[in-house]
Amino acid sequence: MTRLLTALVMVLAVVAQRPAGAVVTGSIFGPGSQSFPIAVVPLRALGGDPGGRIGQEFARALSRDLQLSGYFKLLDPATFVEKPDSVGLTAAETDFVGWAAVGASEVVKGGVLVAGDQVTVEVRMFDVPGRRDVPEVGRRFSGSRGEVGRMAHKTADRILEVLTGERGPFDSRIALTSTRGGRLKEVYTYAFDQDAPTKVTTVRSIVVGPHWRPDLRSILFASYEQHQPRLYQVDLLTRGVRPVIPKGVFLNGAWSPDGTRLLVTREIAGNSDIYLYDAGGSEIRRLTDHWGIDVSPAWAPDGRRFVFCSARAGSPQIYVLDVGGGDPRRVSHAGSYNTSPAWSPKGDTVAWATRGAGGFQIVVQPLDGEPRTITERGSNEDPSWSPDGRYLVFSSTRAGRQTLWMADREGRTQNELTGGVGGDSSPAWSPRTE
Amino acid sequence: MRSVGWWSWMLVAVLCAPLAGGCKKQGPSPEDGVGGPDGAGALGEEGVGGGGAGGAGGSSLARAQQGLSPEEDGVLRDVPFGYDSYELEGEAGDAVERNLRWLRENPRAKVEIEGHCDNRGTIEYNLALGAKRAGSVKDHLVEQGIDATRLSTISYGKELPVCSEETEACWVRNRRAHLVVLGR
Repeated sequence: MTRLLTALVMVLAVVAQRPAGAVVTGSIFGPGSQSFPIAVVPLRALGGDPGGRIGQEFARALSRDLQLSGYFKLLDPATFVEKPDSVGLTAAETDFVGWAAVGASEVVKGGVLVAGDQVTVEVRMFDVPGRRDVPEVGRRFSGSRGEVGRMAHKTADRILEVLTGERGPFDSRIALTSTRGGRLKEVYTYAFDQDAPTKVTTVRSIVVGPHWRPDLRSILFASYEQHQPRLYQVDLLTRGVRPVIPKGVFLNGAWSPDGTRLLVTREIAGNSDIYLYDAGGSEIRRLTDHWGIDVSPAWAPDGRRFVFCSARAGSPQIYVLDVGGGDPRRVSHAGSYNTSPAWSPKGDTVAWATRGAGGFQIVVQPLDGEPRTITERGSNEDPSWSPDGRYLVFSSTRAGRQTLWMADREGRTQNELTGGVGGDSSPAWSPRTE
Repeated sequence: MRSVGWWSWMLVAVLCAPLAGGCKKQGPSPEDGVGGPDGAGALGEEGVGGGGAGGAGGSSLARAQQGLSPEEDGVLRDVPFGYDSYELEGEAGDAVERNLRWLRENPRAKVEIEGHCDNRGTIEYNLALGAKRAGSVKDHLVEQGIDATRLSTISYGKELPVCSEETEACWVRNRRAHLVVLGR
């Protein structure tokens, strides 16, 4: 009888224990609610990291990702009850009482060991009320010095997965065009731990509309390098640039999610229409045939439909069409100028830019639902979805010059991503790096 | 002997600039019906571009590659357009008439018609709108008897503005078809 009672008590104890950050679903919980007060302690230097620089770099990148996600309140390091040079890496060595007193719900800490160019990072997350290590987050990473940023992004994405049920998007990159290196735009890439984007092309002409190939090995863009705009791709390893479609004038293009086909805007005799091409550069079929402007195709994640911008009804609006052809169906019903659509990787939701009095604002709308405007300051253009479908990156002029900003799909969080001199445009958020 | 004013030399430079430029392009190809030059892009190369002394002439892109602002008017008149429009109306008629006259008086001249937009549209839509504007001008000139093979078109959207102020005065200057003499 006592055995049964003991078993019962044990079962109740397990059931009653608050799991670390129980997954909460529902619309009241989302980015912008800042639900989790979290402390990110710089990694303890276990050897080979003089001054703890790598440990700080990891913490800084992780903190920024968590802050951008909109789910966290990052605690001020001045209040930390454990210091980087003396943190313990186990629950037994964690001052849960102290952390609770400063308001932390989660604590992230760990250590870093450097030997030559090999960096080993051990990171753990502790649930403060539960007084325990959260094993789903704990991980050891091994890599080169240059991969520390990605280690932080993978940790952030994992923390988000455990606490929100959805893996985070930060182990990814953004392609963009920018004039920050000169008068004329070039293609750049940006990772979330960078201070500024990295230049990828030196075309010295006009470049527009960068789009990732799904294997992340190259970026597609239109360039006037050969006088008329054409589609090219730049190999990210070699930085070599080569044409994608040998003949014709093309204003933009986008790879299908499986990387085998391209939707492109082709211009003939002043008129722009959407075409489907294969990866080898051969035309598969013409998809629009209208005297009105048809431009900016964006694939659905199922690879069978796409949205695009058409002025066939007299003003630019968003339409959806099957990749097999047919009659486009109108998607945008409010406003007189709707353009630059992007289809969420998760479900039938589309974002685009709508023109208002002061400039462009970003709109998010389920395909057959109601639009929601998620920006209001400055002029905001060219939205692109995060791989988890929760966020959008776009260009914005609200900070005085054009830089990239990130917002969650409901617009509750808005954060500047690239700063500095700006001149950034046309962002494209890559799939996750692996 | 009376000395020739400096302005005379400027005028000569402007008129001779297209001849001085090394335009290595082939003639308009049948590609895409636009007759856009298609080969090794001479106008796209740095330092080359039909622009001669004093930075006169040259395509807007070639000028930008040389650090120069796009030209307004030039040998031929810029054709203005209304907001979001590619119709030739109002003052456009004047500019087109003057360009028509020039083209008839210079029967061997080849011209590229650039379509430009103000910055109140988005990048890609404006590339398409600029193409429409250039196409409108070309269609009209051809209707009036100019040989289509003399005319090529290209769109620069809002990528090469002549000004950047958020004012109607600036927007009106950017909504234009700009005609560049390629050779005669």
